[in-house]
Amino acid sequence: MCAYKKIDTVCPYCGTGCVITCTVDTEKNQVIEAKVSPRGVNNEGRLCLKGLYGWDYLNDPQILTKRIRQPMIRKNGKGTPLVEVSWQEAIEYAAARLKAIIKEYGPDAVMGAGSARGPGNEAAYITQKFMRAVVGTNNVDHCARI
Amino acid sequence: MSFSVPELEDAEVIFDIGYNAPVSHPLVARHIVRAKKKGCKIICVDPRLTETGRIATIYLPIKGGTNMLFLNAMAHVMVTEDLVDHDFIEKHTTGFADYAKEVAQDKYAPEAVAAATHLDPDDIRRAARLFASSKHTMTLWGMGITQFSQGVECVIACSNLSLMTGNYGHYATGVGPVRGQNNVQGTCDMGVLPNQYPGYQDVMDDEIRHKFEKAWGVSLPSHVGLPLTYVPDKVLREPDPKKRIHAYYIIGEDPAQSDPDLPEIRRTLSAIDLVIVQDIFFNKTCEYADVIFPATAWGEHNAVYTSCDRRFQRVRKLIEPQPGCKTDWEILCLMATAMGYPMHYDNTEQIWDEMRSLCPKFAGASYEKMVENHGVQWPCTEDSPDDTGTQYLHKGAHFATADGKGHFYYYPWTPAKELESPEYPLSLSTVREVGHYSVRTMTGNCRLLADLADEPGYIQMNPEDCQELGIANGDLVRVVSKRGHTITRCQETDRVSKGATYMTYQWWVGACNELTSAALDPKSHTPEFKYCACRVEKIDDQKQAERDVKAQYTAIRSRMGIEVKEV
Repeated sequence: MCAYKKIDTVCPYCGTGCVITCTVDTEKNQVIEAKVSPRGVNNEGRLCLKGLYGWDYLNDPQILTKRIRQPMIRKNGKGTPLVEVSWQEAIEYAAARLKAIIKEYGPDAVMGAGSARGPGNEAAYITQKFMRAVVGTNNVDHCARI
Repeated sequence: MSFSVPELEDAEVIFDIGYNAPVSHPLVARHIVRAKKKGCKIICVDPRLTETGRIATIYLPIKGGTNMLFLNAMAHVMVTEDLVDHDFIEKHTTGFADYAKEVAQDKYAPEAVAAATHLDPDDIRRAARLFASSKHTMTLWGMGITQFSQGVECVIACSNLSLMTGNYGHYATGVGPVRGQNNVQGTCDMGVLPNQYPGYQDVMDDEIRHKFEKAWGVSLPSHVGLPLTYVPDKVLREPDPKKRIHAYYIIGEDPAQSDPDLPEIRRTLSAIDLVIVQDIFFNKTCEYADVIFPATAWGEHNAVYTSCDRRFQRVRKLIEPQPGCKTDWEILCLMATAMGYPMHYDNTEQIWDEMRSLCPKFAGASYEKMVENHGVQWPCTEDSPDDTGTQYLHKGAHFATADGKGHFYYYPWTPAKELESPEYPLSLSTVREVGHYSVRTMTGNCRLLADLADEPGYIQMNPEDCQELGIANGDLVRVVSKRGHTITRCQETDRVSKGATYMTYQWWVGACNELTSAALDPKSHTPEFKYCACRVEKIDDQKQAERDVKAQYTAIRSRMGIEVKEV
């Protein structure tokens, strides 16, 4: 038995904001295809090739590089290999080191780069809130600069 | 953008400068084509003959790095031939008289700028007359304006042309900087900027800062932060260790591939005490990371993106996330909590509503309204269902300035920071291609897109340059600049002028950012990706070079965790 679901979403590529209808196989937890949605104001039922075929990376075909599926840290310092650790260990390690740097050099010794791609506006809001309210610096920026 | 994308179809004139819509935004390009079918005249200014240039009424193959000279020449024609809208200027602007005096100088006559801009003076005059002939002239620009060391001033110079011809404040007119990535507009909207809180609110403004301090329960810094293009300076050249950057938290960004002057970026990332990378794929920056957090990708979480024309739209979770991955905001909340600032949200709508409560421009843009209205374009200030957002800005030519007027500013031309020389006789500009996106960790991992183009990318060169260097189309070549060198393939095309070359930035082996310059615009702090000097060298042993490229590609992929089967 297959359970296909159609979901309207917004293309993750350029800034046009095209609306896409994706068909999802909920049993296999996979996107099956992307088709144009008549509900996109800027694309009016058309898509470019990235919109039509640009969802395949969700299947992690490992052509170029691969999905990161587990937190990693360089346990033994710079120049040593990254090792997979639990979320708890990774968060504790990163938080402790960030706090130590802030204590020694002040909050402006920390820089944050947010993402203008997949994460979206809510994550962007939390990114700058984290840098400002938690780290205590306005050193936060993103790739609109470049 | 001051207008909405579909309005382009009702333009009478489209002024397209430094913007390659068919490659960067194919569905925006469709509106340009449809406008032409309805009789719109197109002026296209680009050093490369783009597809828009091919269908343009007037195509101006400008010499790279001379935008300001050309824009001042356009203004010169409008002023000296009295093509301006005096009524609009009087009612809605300030500073015109001083500006007009400057641009009317003889040095800005089209005939006087012809040699430097490589443009026919008659074409400039025709373009200025055509621009000024309509109240539905719509301007589009892209990074061919902004990625220069004189970027911001050229943006203002473009806006001056619209102001003096009355092309602001009504339907199908105005200016359109078309944002590159899906959510650069949104990331600016959300205040991921060193000088602004969400909603374009100044961090230096005491009243605004107190509002955020109250909402977040902390005291906040009152000085502007660091733009990310200053990180190398603040790591490698800051003499006081106390003032250096010691930690870099990088979310969904790959500076080791996308930033200018990669040799310097690698030295920078190696020298930072703590590099945290939060991303979906292993990338080049991960090689310098001390901590890596796996995040969910588009398709695995809910969100709102802002399109280039200010439209908030809901983005939906399609599938359950890869095991082990968390959403970016959940990871940041865990970090905040571990650092002693408990932060928790149940879903993205809670975050969105907190943001709206602090941002008057976005206050009325609820999730509900986005669903009901095919998205909501900001400003949307009221909760009432009647406020469905704003299709175009500056209605009635009321501008978002203190006096409500449009201001003219004059700027003389500043040449690009690194010009051609005997050692580096060619210019290099970075550009885009339609099938690949950014650093290509997404599109390069889509089976159908990955096949469109592969390593080591290409460098577009004029046939005369190819002939002089004894290089044939498809040959591997070595490209060298003051910063570094790379290997790529020659793509011979008469769409580019003699002396100018172009490369796209997503290739690992043929990485153009090994070459690019980190010279910055002093106002936007944006690098001059559109101009530096280089030379192209012929490689005699092509077979060996092909083997080297393959070996290098395999080596990088294996560092990214991919097992490459020998073919």
